[in-house]
Amino acid sequence: MSNVIQTPTLLAAAITTALLAGCAGQATSESTAAPAAEKSMAAATMAMAGPAPLAPLGEPPIPPDNLQSPAKIELGKILFFDPRLGGDASTGCSTCHEPDQGWAWAEDFSRGYPGTVHWRNSQTIINSAYFPRQFWAGSASSNESQARGAARGGVAGNGEADIMEARLRVIPEYVERFREAFGTEWPIVRDAWRAIASFERTLVQRDTPLDKYLLGDKSALDAEQLKGKEIFEGKGGCIQCHNGAITSDQDFHNIGIPPNKRWEEDGLAQITFRFEQYAKGQTQEGYRKAKSDWGFYYRSKNAWDKGKFRTAPLRYLKYTAPYMHNGVFYTLEEVVDFYDRGGFDEDGRTTLFKENKSSLIKPLGLTDDEKGALVAFLESMSGEEMLMDKPAMPEYAPLFTKAELEAAQEAK
Amino acid sequence: MGVRVKTGHTLLAATLGLGMAFGAQAGKYPDITSLPDLKINAAKAELGKRLFFDRRISGDAGIACSDCHKPENAYAHPDALSPGYPGNGHFRNSPSVINAAHKKVWMHDGRLGTNLNDVTREMLTEDYIMNMDMRIMQERAKQDPKYVQMFKDAGYGEPSNGSIRKAIPEYLKTLTSVNAPIDTGKMSASAKRGQKLFKGKAGCIQCHNGPLATDGKAYNTGVPENFDIFLDPMNHHAFIAFAMFQGIEDYMNLKRDPGYYNITMDAADTGKFVTPSLRELKYSAPYMHNGMVKSLYDVVAFYNRGGGKDSRKDSRLKPLKLGKQDIKDLVAFLESMSGDPLTSGQHVWKDPYPAEYPVIENWTQVKN
Ligand code: HEC
Ligand code: HEC
Ligand code: HEC
Ligand code: HEC
Repeated sequence: MSNVIQTPTLLAAAITTALLAGCAGQATSESTAAPAAEKSMAAATMAMAGPAPLAPLGEPPIPPDNLQSPAKIELGKILFFDPRLGGDASTGCSTCHEPDQGWAWAEDFSRGYPGTVHWRNSQTIINSAYFPRQFWAGSASSNESQARGAARGGVAGNGEADIMEARLRVIPEYVERFREAFGTEWPIVRDAWRAIASFERTLVQRDTPLDKYLLGDKSALDAEQLKGKEIFEGKGGCIQCHNGAITSDQDFHNIGIPPNKRWEEDGLAQITFRFEQYAKGQTQEGYRKAKSDWGFYYRSKNAWDKGKFRTAPLRYLKYTAPYMHNGVFYTLEEVVDFYDRGGFDEDGRTTLFKENKSSLIKPLGLTDDEKGALVAFLESMSGEEMLMDKPAMPEYAPLFTKAELEAAQEAK
Repeated sequence: MGVRVKTGHTLLAATLGLGMAFGAQAGKYPDITSLPDLKINAAKAELGKRLFFDRRISGDAGIACSDCHKPENAYAHPDALSPGYPGNGHFRNSPSVINAAHKKVWMHDGRLGTNLNDVTREMLTEDYIMNMDMRIMQERAKQDPKYVQMFKDAGYGEPSNGSIRKAIPEYLKTLTSVNAPIDTGKMSASAKRGQKLFKGKAGCIQCHNGPLATDGKAYNTGVPENFDIFLDPMNHHAFIAFAMFQGIEDYMNLKRDPGYYNITMDAADTGKFVTPSLRELKYSAPYMHNGMVKSLYDVVAFYNRGGGKDSRKDSRLKPLKLGKQDIKDLVAFLESMSGDPLTSGQHVWKDPYPAEYPVIENWTQVKN
């Protein structure tokens, strides 16, 4: 087994609150993000040197201002599973990132906060520690800022910082654990995001067949997978975007993913779709006419970024179906067929922004055997399933005794 | 979270002494007369009514205005401490919203002093009240054909969060006292005796005056703390979030509701609450900002003892030495300020809400 992590017993709690919708300067689920500057850089390097080769995954980067510690990691784990870090105490991180659903959610659109549905597919937490750009459109820059955004988003955690912080403070075990991990008298919600980020940095998988192969174990991939690797790096052209140790150039491309039909068929999904246009800062005109996810455009506001998404990492895919930002494909076979057709689904549908479609995406002319080999190779990027039991949640308890309250009353 | 509004009330000068002859005093205070009529736009109010009873205007679609402001309880809540948004408690009693449209200052501590649009916004967005991202609220309304029609009929055009916050206050205007004996003049002999006491010996009129029986100012009457705020962590965390947001120092160690102090940050205002209206009390028990007094009889007994215990208690409150009959009469007078319950279809939205949002047909072709 690779990374089955044992869970000690702990109790936990957390919180959330609502978004102040009327105010200016709304928090959207995007917090910070890297501008488009490096976009062309990746392309330039590639032209000169060719794409970075596939490589074994190293240790995840640890930010100097949030070093790992056992106390922090353990705390982060409990918090990750605690639904009290959400508006109505029902929806925490693990609610949409279920360990036994690939640390994601096995539907096209993620489940949402109660009363809502999300509009994008839930991404796996596994290996997210490596990504300098988080979310499908790369809008968060670290696990820390990502967690904050996730807990607050109206269709995600819908939790406001102050109520979440207050909840943590009436859970004595958390008070103690935050003190141990961060040295504060009372839990501070920002430290909750830091602890969760530390926990996420332990959710990495570095012993897949591909890693073993790249580290010198030539028997780690079978003949079919080796053939698939060749296609991936050659005829299939996948390596042009899915490269390096994290199998992603962390750049943004429009590969032709068609809009999810559910927006035409599901009232709840239509509500979220329109809300997201506002939440992501669309203009009034854009709000009126948008009929698909404009992806990286929401951040860059450049017309040529419409329909572009971050190159999705390909590790741990075996457990994270469905695929793509809107979950339109349920199997890796469908994905490969999509690429083979040059970025069209089986009904010939493609992105609404054809003008932005990457020139790297074109019909591949793969045979059935070649397609099978490519799928087999994609699967070699996943190791064992990483499962984890939900830790016990610490309980609320009063901070004051009745005697203390009576004394305060007497002293009035 | 709500906007903190400085209400800047000048409190009654302390010289209004109890030593004065009450008879002479009574004339100084505006009588409890009938409330003026309000101009109401029927279509807007009807829309506001549907919204007031609709749980879908809360974050998780789990709680409506009417779940805390219940028609059968004079649009207040029968628990001492209000329920909270799911996953939260609360730390104050949910007040009646009947006649709220006639007020100039809202909330027990008087922190809102602008208009009902702002009060509605606070209710909708506050974490532990309805936790609603108003952009989602707007899109939900746009997905409900009945709302689309009603907004149009009300002259608002398409549903928007701004017009939701206008329609609800329009509905609140329809919630006013109807047929209260004090307005119709059909008061019992006991109530009439009570009224005399109210204006005279009992001194209630000093603070409870004018059409709403409130001067809109804040006083410390020494109501005991409700320990359940602190003994129930769900209530306590809502209280902590509130105190934190209001900028009250040392909020983790607070063991009392600071009340009006919240607005002035002057220690002398600790434990003051805004004089509530005395209309529609018959159905709105329990009483006081924290529901600590169970019945009107207990309220009068409380004043008869000279109020509660607090070093900053208002000097107007002194033991009243009322007899048994006086107490009964005062209670009868208080009850005479309650009218007919507003529980019929005229005030209550009784049609069911759709279980699901219908899909907008031909979605790719129509404008959002
Ligand atoms: C209501 C469902 C939901 C909840 C709750 C939720 N997430 Fe997510 N998560 C998603 C979805 C959907 C995405 C993709 C969103 C996007 O791209 O806009 C995502 C993306 C992420 C990513 C990015 C991974 C990557 O590859 O870039 C991380 C990390 C993550 N979530 C962590 C968390 C944490 C930590 C919490 C709790 C604080 C949390 N999530 C709560 C649904 C949820
Ligand atoms: C032009 C760059 C580019 C090329 C070339 C490319 N991809 Fe992708 N790939 C992406 C992007 C961008 C996404 C995310 C798209 C989205 O969600 O809309 C993606 C997504 C995927 C996914 C889904 C991952 C998930 O978590 O849902 C798979 C699987 C995949 N690609 C496999 C391949 C294979 C196999 C090839 C070669 C046949 C290939 N890609 C070629 C850019 C590329
Ligand atoms: C979870 C319970 C709850 C819900 C839901 C709720 N309220 Fe309230 N409401 C309260 C409480 C408690 C107060 C007093 C708060 C305080 O004094 O701090 C209050 C105060 C008010 C007031 C001020 C009354 C006065 O005289 O000062 C108005 C008006 C009001 N609410 C209207 C509404 C409307 C309209 C809605 C729906 C949009 C609503 N409320 C939803 C609990 C609730
Ligand atoms: C000094 C001003 C003052 C005087 C005098 C006064 N009250 Fe009050 N009254 C208040 C304030 C302030 C409150 C709210 C206290 C709280 O919520 O903690 C209140 C609350 C009440 C309530 C509860 C209403 C509700 O909705 O919860 C009733 C009933 C009441 N008073 C009746 C009386 C009567 C009867 C008298 C005379 C015996 C009287 N009051 C004298 C200021 C006064």
